[in-house]
Amino acid sequence: MRLKNGLKIVLLLISFSLVFTSNAYAYLDPGTGSYFLQLLIAGLLGALFFIKTFWRGILRAVKDVFLKLFNPVKKD
Amino acid sequence: MDRRESAASFRDPSGSVYYEGDVLYRRINNCYKDDYALFLDSGLYDDLVSAGLLISHIEVKKEAESSYKIIRPELVPFISYPYEWCFSQLKEAALLTLKIQRLALRRGMSLKDCSLYNIQFLGSKPVFIDTLSFEKHIDNRPWIAYGQFCRHFLGPLALMGMVDIRLGQLLKSYIDGLPLDLATSLLPYSGRFNIGLLLHIYMHSKAQKYSPDASFVDNKTKNRKFGIDSFYGLIDNLESTIQGIKWKPLKTSWADYYSKKESYSSQGVEHKKKIVEGMIGEVSPRLVCSLGANTGLFSRIFSSRGIYTISSDFDPVCVEGNYLYVLEYKEKDILPLLLDVVNPSPGIGWEGEERDSFIERGPFDLVTALALIHHLAISNNLPLRKISSFLKNISRTLIIEFVPKDDEMVKAMLILRKDIFEDYTQDNFEREFAKDFFIDQTVKVSDSKRVLYLMRRRG
Repeated sequence: MRLKNGLKIVLLLISFSLVFTSNAYAYLDPGTGSYFLQLLIAGLLGALFFIKTFWRGILRAVKDVFLKLFNPVKKD
Repeated sequence: MDRRESAASFRDPSGSVYYEGDVLYRRINNCYKDDYALFLDSGLYDDLVSAGLLISHIEVKKEAESSYKIIRPELVPFISYPYEWCFSQLKEAALLTLKIQRLALRRGMSLKDCSLYNIQFLGSKPVFIDTLSFEKHIDNRPWIAYGQFCRHFLGPLALMGMVDIRLGQLLKSYIDGLPLDLATSLLPYSGRFNIGLLLHIYMHSKAQKYSPDASFVDNKTKNRKFGIDSFYGLIDNLESTIQGIKWKPLKTSWADYYSKKESYSSQGVEHKKKIVEGMIGEVSPRLVCSLGANTGLFSRIFSSRGIYTISSDFDPVCVEGNYLYVLEYKEKDILPLLLDVVNPSPGIGWEGEERDSFIERGPFDLVTALALIHHLAISNNLPLRKISSFLKNISRTLIIEFVPKDDEMVKAMLILRKDIFEDYTQDNFEREFAKDFFIDQTVKVSDSKRVLYLMRRRG
């Protein structure tokens, strides 16, 4: 319950920072909730993206090693 | 020349669209000057146009009035709407939007809106048509159009793929996308175990229920940032969520209509194709609409000749199959669309004019109604007079097939119901249609009791 109230307060605080944010000239109403959610999950999204990119890098490196091992460049 | 303002272009103050005759112009207002300059100077416009992701335009002239510039965008042969797209078309449109957003971020810009109506199809390819949808990206600011993207693309796709394909029709009722609380109430409980749906639909819907309260204003919240890695993470996550939504069509009685050979022998089908091919030469159409096109067998007679063809059917399985074929063979001149002839897309939005009805988007140079009339007249109790009158509204010329009562398909349709269709005869058909059309050709299909007509609209 305490956690829920805490979350609610954070959400409402963020909403006000957004209400008074300057330079927001968009004609669409972004929806306060949509804006909140992105700020709340920013870390998670960044981390997931980092892990995915990192994992792809590892896979690519492993693939390169295997390609070199099993398909060595023939020398004349 | 008379100028006609577009009824669909009034929300975004950056500019508006108008027509002079058949030529479309986009007016760019002074308030969009800086973003438009950045759009061109950053290289984003060139990136998108060279990749075939955005419609190209040329700058034409400066109006006497207060606008900044006037551009003339390339025209799309036929405007279609999301509730007329099959599952894979909607999915391709969603992925295009995310691809464009990623490219925009690389050039320091961002999509300021994410409407489904910013996408049109050129055959297999979705293309972005709103040149004024880009704005300078402000560091650490979340995506302004995130909510709209989820309502317009993710919600409908999830419902179509996971609940029922027909739920795509909800887009007719919700012009600004499907409310997320409605999506959550319709999705199965198992949707919560998909991390993408959990974040972007379920949590998003909950978050939208909060509203700001002045007593909680605190400067500390201004320190919260949405960094560029988070932004790319958001795009990546939305993309993988959408990629993960699949729809496996069930077989319907229409999807393998021509392969079942209940209505035609192979000889009959080949002869029918030859008759239609012969009729094209008499008409030389540029835009064709094939009604009840099934998976597009006959539509391809036109599109294979470079004639842009709307290949419409009311069965989502047929339209999906047709579009997957279009995608596989990268066909440019055929656009499969979901259209129910007995309930064609109405005009929707403000004053019912924001999105034109199907009929207002006509007339077509040529309409084909092959193996369709008996479904209209007998399955839907439509009088021949009404059918003729509707077809006159949407076609300059018409290729129509009359299917008599002694045809096997019509016999099957009447097997369990009383025959109340005394007027459904070839004589009456010709008499009623002759009131609206000149009948130029009449050809009997071999090995069948059916007859094909080529007609020209009167007046």
